[in-house]
Amino acid sequence: MNLFFTLFRTNLNLNFGISALKYRFRKESKKIPETLLIVIGILFGFGSLIGLYSFLMYQVFSAGLNLGQPEIVLTIAFVSAQFIILIFGIFYILGVFYFGRDLSMLIPLPLSPYQVLGSKFAIVMINEYLTALPLLVPPIIIYGMGTGQGFFYWVKALILVLATPAIPLTIASIFVIVLMRFANLRKRKDLLTIVGGFVGLLLSLGLNFWIQKLQSGNMVNSIQRLIESDLIKMIGQSFPPSIWATLALGGQGFSGFAYLLLFLFVSLLLLAAMLRLGNQFFYKSVLSGQESTRKRKVLSSKNEHRRFNSSTSPMMAIIIREWRLLLRTPIYVLNGLSGVIIGPFILVLLFFTQGSAGGSGSYTTEQLLTLINRPEFMITGTLSALCIVLFTAGMNLVASTSLSREGQTFWISKMIPVKPKVQIVAKLLQAYSVAFLSVLVTVIMLALFFKFSLLRIAIVFSLGLLGSLPLTALNLLIDVLRPKLIWTNPHEAIKQNLNGLLGMLISIILLLLIGAGVIFIVMIKTPDSLVYGLLALVLLLLTVPSLLGLFNAAERTYRRTEV
Amino acid sequence: MIEIKNLSKAYNKGQVKAVDNLNLHVQSGEIFGFLGPNGAGKTTTIKMMVGLLNPDEGSISINGYDTKTQSIQAKSTIGYVPDNPDIYDRLTGIEYLNFMADVYRVSPEDRQKRINDFLEMFELSDAASDLIKSYSHGMKQKLVVTGALIHNPAVWILDEPMVGLDPKSAHLLKEYMRKHCEQGNTVFFSTHILEVAEKLCDRIGIINKGKLIAIGTMAELRQGSGTSSLENIFLELTEE
Ligand SMILES: Nc1ncnc2c1ncn2[C@@H]1O[C@H](COP(=O)(O)OP(=O)(O)OP(=O)(O)O)[C@@H](O)[C@H]1O
Ligand SMILES: [Mg+2]
Repeated sequence: MNLFFTLFRTNLNLNFGISALKYRFRKESKKIPETLLIVIGILFGFGSLIGLYSFLMYQVFSAGLNLGQPEIVLTIAFVSAQFIILIFGIFYILGVFYFGRDLSMLIPLPLSPYQVLGSKFAIVMINEYLTALPLLVPPIIIYGMGTGQGFFYWVKALILVLATPAIPLTIASIFVIVLMRFANLRKRKDLLTIVGGFVGLLLSLGLNFWIQKLQSGNMVNSIQRLIESDLIKMIGQSFPPSIWATLALGGQGFSGFAYLLLFLFVSLLLLAAMLRLGNQFFYKSVLSGQESTRKRKVLSSKNEHRRFNSSTSPMMAIIIREWRLLLRTPIYVLNGLSGVIIGPFILVLLFFTQGSAGGSGSYTTEQLLTLINRPEFMITGTLSALCIVLFTAGMNLVASTSLSREGQTFWISKMIPVKPKVQIVAKLLQAYSVAFLSVLVTVIMLALFFKFSLLRIAIVFSLGLLGSLPLTALNLLIDVLRPKLIWTNPHEAIKQNLNGLLGMLISIILLLLIGAGVIFIVMIKTPDSLVYGLLALVLLLLTVPSLLGLFNAAERTYRRTEV
Repeated sequence: MIEIKNLSKAYNKGQVKAVDNLNLHVQSGEIFGFLGPNGAGKTTTIKMMVGLLNPDEGSISINGYDTKTQSIQAKSTIGYVPDNPDIYDRLTGIEYLNFMADVYRVSPEDRQKRINDFLEMFELSDAASDLIKSYSHGMKQKLVVTGALIHNPAVWILDEPMVGLDPKSAHLLKEYMRKHCEQGNTVFFSTHILEVAEKLCDRIGIINKGKLIAIGTMAELRQGSGTSSLENIFLELTEE
């Protein structure tokens, strides 16, 4: 047991980077303001989300109260929390249990599989509180205050909240352990990353649509309809623990406690089953299939001849390297490319759902289409389209993590006799071609769905390409100014890299400023062609300093960074 | 030819003096062995020579090019093998070698011949079209050596190049180093294998705590200390 806690502590420390944080505060006091700023930003973002959620839940509570079923808000909360934990838990557990880099270090230690598994499970559990708490706490408070509950309610609530992740996570773990025993997915890590990413994307899209729907109609009405349809009960019945949780909290006296005990008992039972199963299977599936595939193709002399004969310029060689490394790392593809292509799709889809929701205040899709193509809305439509194009270009993670992605291989870039400027131009071209792609996709969408004329397409396309250049350069500049070169998992380079967020932020601010200016000159009735001309000029003027700044920063970073 | 003058470098804001006023001259056509206990400053010196670290003080010139003011020219004449190479896991061996050949502007004819020779010599031909991810430690090391020497650089700078190589590959690499020097080029390498240093090197330098404490041919070193084996000389000199 002692060993277990040591392991747990180490894991906890690694997981939340406690040592690194301590080090940061002690040794790099310069970075404290930056860290604080980030924390405040995150709190603010989360705060507003939780506020929105609480408001929604309050509506549900009131609607339930009208129908004499105030507990419905609790059922919804527990169902959604457990469901979300279950779905994401599967991928999360796969990652932590089977793909962690620490496994090769842990297996030789004198520990039983269940100890390793248990400590990893505990870590996942603690992380899942980050999901469970914001989903559960507001409804519990709303219900508790709303129905005037006493002391025991809050005690039961505390226990339930702490225990909630256990059932979905043990189910997910058992599923994963059995799955890995029979289908060896360790070799298919790349595939899994992509599948996991898309499941996440689909879920968040679905959620988005749902919220969209709720907001567009009369919310209270639709909540009432939702409750009357018994949908929640149905979902709840297929996952009884959420009903037990509701009854434990809503029930008075003995029955409440009985359901609480039932909930806890099932949690423990599942946990024991999971550990038992893990003890048997875990190491076996970890140890099999640690290989990466090899073709072992012997080079025929003709083949060889062709392969070594193709020489290109250093810049081209770097562009090719960048593309290969990007395309062969699933997490980069998912975050760097899909966003750019899916972005325009989402916008178009949102437009259509918005249009067809068909409440009294909104237009039908057809009405909207004719509206957009009316002469007096010509410029507004074109500029909005341009805004979408530039927005997607500004979200370019390929640019804002370009140098970071080199990580520990950065020494090669420092060693080769290629000027930093040339290397950075290669990176800029790669990122710009991604932006080009997204502009192209958006423009095609505009032509197909919004029936834009050729002239408008040409305007959006050319201004989009022009504007993407400074945006891409600025995103790249951020990464050049503060590259994150020390990481072990590519996730850290692209997803856990602040530069991506900063790049988006700066792009948005810039676009807002330009947008404000453009709105102003449109308002004072400037002729359309002059508006486009001025916009082109501004974008061009923006390009020059961003490129110069980028080249300067590159010279400096490549020279100063020591590896 | 390598010329190091008054080179100093400290880590952690001056707390750890890794290299302390080092002066060193390596002729063309010479194999120079760089010895010293762990943490003596070998890797630090080498990284400054190839431009991965910036010296606090002093200057380095490689084949007449100053590494600070003429860094690109200096880099073009260097072939560098690091002690613990991280290379692009998701490229194949061939793609990596072609990348290196491209950035060093090696002509197609030259690269074809050299790549084939090296792959044959290191028995890597079979694995060349696999992802580097699937390579063993030694295979990776051999690939890095190949990539570093693909442009036939005049100055080789190798940080413990024999680590991880099997006896045959290590032997071939030593022969190759010898041959390279006979053509008037320079080889500078660090090692902990005294036997290799003793047999292979024209001259040897021993560094301890950032300071060069001995330099010369084996004969000169023997004379200076009075003992015969390099091991004894090394132990004697680096003693507290
Ligand atoms: N990145 C770093 N940060 C701080 N100190 C460092 C760093 N790299 C090296 N040092 C310190 O500099 C000194 C010289 O290290 P260096 O790596 O040059 O030694 P070395 O001679 O190559 O040793 P070895 O034989 O173990 O490879 C050591 O005291 C080491 O602790
Ligand atoms: Mg070293």
